[in-house]
Amino acid sequence: MNKKNIIYFILGILIGAGLTYYGFISYESLGNEVNKVKTEEEYEEAQNYVNISEKTMEEFGIKIKTAGPDKIVLHKDLTGEIIPNPYSVAHIVPRFKGVVIDIYKEIGDRVKKGEKIATIESNESLVRYDVTSSINGTIIAMHMTPGELIGDEKHIVTVANLNSVWAELNIYQQDLSEIKIGQKAEIFSPTHEVYTGKLFYISPVIDEATRTAVTRVKVQNRNGIWKPGMFVTAKVYTSAKIVNVAVPKDAVQNLNGEKVIFVKTEKGFTPRVVSLGIENGKNVEVLSGLHAGDIYVAKGAFIFKSELLKESFGGEEE
Amino acid sequence: MNKIIDFALKNRLLIIVLSLFIVAGGYFSYKQLPIDAFPDVSPSLVQVFTQTEGLAPEEVEKYVTFPIETAMNGLPNLKSIRSVSNFGLSVVNIYFEDGTDIYFARQVVSERLTEARERIPEGFGDPQMGPISTGMGLVLFYYLEDETGKYSLEELRTIQDWLIKFQLQTVPGVTEVLGIGGWEKQFHVEVEPNALLRYDLSINDIVRIIKDNNLNVGASFIERDAEEFLVRSVGLATKIQDLENIVVKSVDGTPVYLKNVAKIKIGGAVRRGIQTHNGVEEVVAGMVVKLFGTNSSTVIGAVEEKMKEINKTLPEGIKLVPYYEQKTLVEAAVKTVTDALIQGIILVTIILMLFMSSLRPSIVVALSIPFSIMVAFIGMKFLGLSINLMSFGGLAIAIGMMVDASIVLVENIDRHKRLNSKEPFLKVVANASKEVLRPIIFAIIIIITVFIPLFTLHGVEGKTFKPLAYTIALAMVGSLIFAILIAPVLSSFFLKSKKTENKKNAEKETWIVRTLIKLYTPFLNFFVKHRIFAIILSVLLLLVGAFIYPRLGSEFTPTLQEGTLIVRLTMAPSISLEESKRITLIAEKRVLRVPEVRGTVTRIGRGEVGAHTDPINSAEMYVLLKPKSEWRAEINQEKIENEIREQVEGMPGVLLNFTQPIRMTVDELLEGVRAELAVKLFGDDLEILKNKAEEISNVLRKVRGAADIQVDQISGKPQLKITPDRHAIARYGLNLSDVQQVIRTAIGGETAGQIFEGIRRFPIFVRFTPEARSTKQEIANLLVSSPNGLHVPLSQIAKIEEIEGPRQITREQNQRFITIQCNVVGRDIGSFVEESQKAIDKNINLPVGYYTTWGGQFKLQQEANKRFAIVIPITLLLIFFLLFSSFNSLKNSLLIILNIPLALVGGIIALWLTGQNLSVPSSVGFIALFGIALENGMVLVTYFNQLVREGKLIDEASIEGAKLRLRPVLMTAITTALGLIPLLLATGAGSEVQRPLATVVIGGLFTSTILTLLVLPALYKWFVADKQEPTIS
Repeated sequence: MNKKNIIYFILGILIGAGLTYYGFISYESLGNEVNKVKTEEEYEEAQNYVNISEKTMEEFGIKIKTAGPDKIVLHKDLTGEIIPNPYSVAHIVPRFKGVVIDIYKEIGDRVKKGEKIATIESNESLVRYDVTSSINGTIIAMHMTPGELIGDEKHIVTVANLNSVWAELNIYQQDLSEIKIGQKAEIFSPTHEVYTGKLFYISPVIDEATRTAVTRVKVQNRNGIWKPGMFVTAKVYTSAKIVNVAVPKDAVQNLNGEKVIFVKTEKGFTPRVVSLGIENGKNVEVLSGLHAGDIYVAKGAFIFKSELLKESFGGEEE
Repeated sequence: MNKIIDFALKNRLLIIVLSLFIVAGGYFSYKQLPIDAFPDVSPSLVQVFTQTEGLAPEEVEKYVTFPIETAMNGLPNLKSIRSVSNFGLSVVNIYFEDGTDIYFARQVVSERLTEARERIPEGFGDPQMGPISTGMGLVLFYYLEDETGKYSLEELRTIQDWLIKFQLQTVPGVTEVLGIGGWEKQFHVEVEPNALLRYDLSINDIVRIIKDNNLNVGASFIERDAEEFLVRSVGLATKIQDLENIVVKSVDGTPVYLKNVAKIKIGGAVRRGIQTHNGVEEVVAGMVVKLFGTNSSTVIGAVEEKMKEINKTLPEGIKLVPYYEQKTLVEAAVKTVTDALIQGIILVTIILMLFMSSLRPSIVVALSIPFSIMVAFIGMKFLGLSINLMSFGGLAIAIGMMVDASIVLVENIDRHKRLNSKEPFLKVVANASKEVLRPIIFAIIIIITVFIPLFTLHGVEGKTFKPLAYTIALAMVGSLIFAILIAPVLSSFFLKSKKTENKKNAEKETWIVRTLIKLYTPFLNFFVKHRIFAIILSVLLLLVGAFIYPRLGSEFTPTLQEGTLIVRLTMAPSISLEESKRITLIAEKRVLRVPEVRGTVTRIGRGEVGAHTDPINSAEMYVLLKPKSEWRAEINQEKIENEIREQVEGMPGVLLNFTQPIRMTVDELLEGVRAELAVKLFGDDLEILKNKAEEISNVLRKVRGAADIQVDQISGKPQLKITPDRHAIARYGLNLSDVQQVIRTAIGGETAGQIFEGIRRFPIFVRFTPEARSTKQEIANLLVSSPNGLHVPLSQIAKIEEIEGPRQITREQNQRFITIQCNVVGRDIGSFVEESQKAIDKNINLPVGYYTTWGGQFKLQQEANKRFAIVIPITLLLIFFLLFSSFNSLKNSLLIILNIPLALVGGIIALWLTGQNLSVPSSVGFIALFGIALENGMVLVTYFNQLVREGKLIDEASIEGAKLRLRPVLMTAITTALGLIPLLLATGAGSEVQRPLATVVIGGLFTSTILTLLVLPALYKWFVADKQEPTIS
């Protein structure tokens, strides 16, 4: 009887000791309470839909819009310089060799057509004759002083009509195909004056040294802002297209290597893979994936993307 | 052994003097011990930081990280090398074996660094070691408050970097002050690309010309008469105008000035971190890093003093506002334990007085506490431990145990004195002491022995709990010295004069003890007569324990409440700093809605290297609370935390974490992953790694029990990749470097010398105007000048594409890797790992050179379990051996060992009742229980044996012995339990770690005492030592 009891007792103690010993050394269920096993559907759901309350959207500066047609204007940035209009530049060459007797104008003076600029005494006939301007314009160069003997091969006065000048812009080879005569161009001066004109000429050959072609824009210059030699930049509007669906560039996000736009559905906003067409600095054409009438996230799409990826960026942080 | 007692009693004066020396030594040790909040759990680690301007992770890895890593291979005591290559920053963590001297480690790293530097290409950064500090080293954070609102962020940052930083660094114990936030002042030369075109210049010309026009030189001296004149030429630019008027070109004598081609202004350096405040503004902040091994409180105190001084010298309206410091925490933690210690001492003394009939023996016993503590201090000083929550906590836990030995001794002297009042008192003391000497020594050795498993803990747990084990062991040694040397001596002085008075009370116990004995006797008689009930009772209890045990939750270590709350926001890795700031400000505004929140200060990303390496998508918000007096009624810290949680939860695109400063830093420094299981896939190609990791995760997902599978997001940082076309470049007569130089300088910018303002120096940073480099289109239009005067747009000679690149590259043991983390639910990890391994081997074809390793918390646990599986049986064996050598009886020893499970049951029940989890501290409690339960058993069994030897019948001996030993058994149990009560009830900083421990011990003591008193006498009969066996003398 007693012996039996001892056995039971020892057995009981051993079991208890075993259990407690096991308990002491095992933490294997560590952290299990926080684990939530998601069903496959829930997983999918979390993977694909984002719901953000309107209040929060406002707080985070998120804007939604309805997709619709828009005009997308494309442009090229070019640089160049102002040159005088060659058709309005008169290189005045004295008709006879002779000595300069008198000069009536200075560089920068405006002259009218037929106005006297200088008097020269011909070497051959010793007759004095007047050199007159052949056009209305401004004297931009003069190569004579009184008493100087001048020949009849070189021009002595350059008169240019600067009421109209040209902006000559350089086109790099890769842009040639897009730039056409007749396209609208905005010319910017270093002091930020703007002139809007049209391309009227594209050079038929490419400069061998610079590998650029040139295009020209006529610039009206009544107040004399556009001075020849001035360095200018230009925006040439190469195309304007009305597209079926256009969105702000920020609406398009990179997600898992694809371009997506977040579109409102019944379950929430979901990323829709889109293919894109033309784009400019602000907007981009959506070729497929987003239809007119769809409600999409126009501003703050990044936050939607972050929310989708949220689970994944909790990993190792260093 | 008895000679010790004789010696002590013969040289009483010597003993007293010696003990006074020990106490004094303890006091001086205490004064010199560093004080921290928690034991420093940081690994032995040397960090090497390299900042490289503008490089993407791939290049950082190739040019910087790799040379450093390879240079560090084969260092002595090296454990592992881990590295992270981030945008513009390489961090190599070199882990050494625990216990490696930090200065030694730094020295060997430093030697190899010289080698590494040679292998890093010129201009790719200079590797530097992190501060001589640890994870606990960030002792104080502050920000600059500008009341006037007149100062710009550049100005404030300049004040921080050039005024405050240098002054604070002079404080002893401060190793570094790191700034963050605002803008580091720079002189920006924003070059107009069209102007370059106009004047036919290249951006590199500009950089060169600026460098050439900003110089001071010395030209030795000239002699005139008897004097020497030093010659110097002063050409340094000191202000914007100086830069503007640098001539970059001269055409026909017409100078072209720098201002004609560039805008020059004061701006901020490229930054990877900012600091925000209260949801409205950016601020400039600083972090004070403490030198390794210094005393936190002292350093912080000195820094605070210095800050007061600095505040006086700062411009009107600007002041330093500390927003986090460890001192409060250190003080709170130490206070929690000190309070518990003092309360414990008082409670123990009260109990002693109640049980011992008078004050004097109580005093003798109580003196054991300060003495043991002083001995512990000396030991701590010797072992290089600091005063902190755990080491001090060990003392608080041990209070009750410190007196046990003395109780047994003094109680025996007291009892003998009453019985033999005729003998000379000194002899009574000697005899009484000798009688219990042996069991006392054995009991204390056993208590120290049970803590052996704790010394085998590794990692964070080891570092956390070893100090506790050390101090307990040390205090126990102290109490042993006290009991065998000092207590007899003191008793001989103090107890003597009471002799006459005591005569009247001879044979009489205090009323409490009498009442208890009266209550106890019927139970005792019952159980001794009906042993079966004793068995039933114990089996019942064991069953209850076995029933409850699986219902207990488990956690590794309870979270220490540091008293400072951090909300950590993690945003998408591709986020920009501006967006990161915007979202952070929203979060701050939300947190501020909680009325108790006084303010918030958030760090986004990283500041000066040395402290943090976070990317800009990570933000840490320090929540500052109002003083408690201004809180709403009925609100506590926890409720505030919950309200904050409610506020910030549901922020889209933001992952939230609630953490605390020290914990966070330590987490960052620790190697490894936080999930239970981690598969690390090593290999070279990031793309393959990513794909294979994805495949592995899909395989794992199908294994039963897998949960929370997560593949490291190594990619996700968008890149604009510019690949020059070599043929196209050749056609234009360009070199690759011509192209890349333009890309680097025009987009990224280049430093072209410095501007000196007194001793302050600020870089001159040359870069294109933002309008010319902000979009892909603009970058495509960048012009590259060829030697023959051509200007070619970048798009004509290079492919420009947007791709997704790695966000960071992590490496371990010189190889890239990717981690697949996963938790396991509802099955044991071992079998899960086995099954998964098989599945992976079967389904996944890894290319040559790719391999997986399995790790994670499970590995640490497995290792810990493996160690425990060896150490605990050995410990038990050791205890058994000790018991056996004490009793010389197998049966006796067995009987005492049987106490253990009964004690554990009480601990389990107590945990369950208080709703706490199994954790490391509760395990420590169980370990302590081992010792205490054994001690009680020993006291009782020793006495039973003695009575039996005196010729009593076994049953009689059991009953009588138990009755007589009720007083010491109850006293030791109650003192131990009461010593812990303050820890149980404490609510201060750090109490959450001590509480489970105290709960377990108190609960266990309850059951084990009851069982010692009821079951042990009942079962004694079966376990009585064989007559033939020699019993203790």
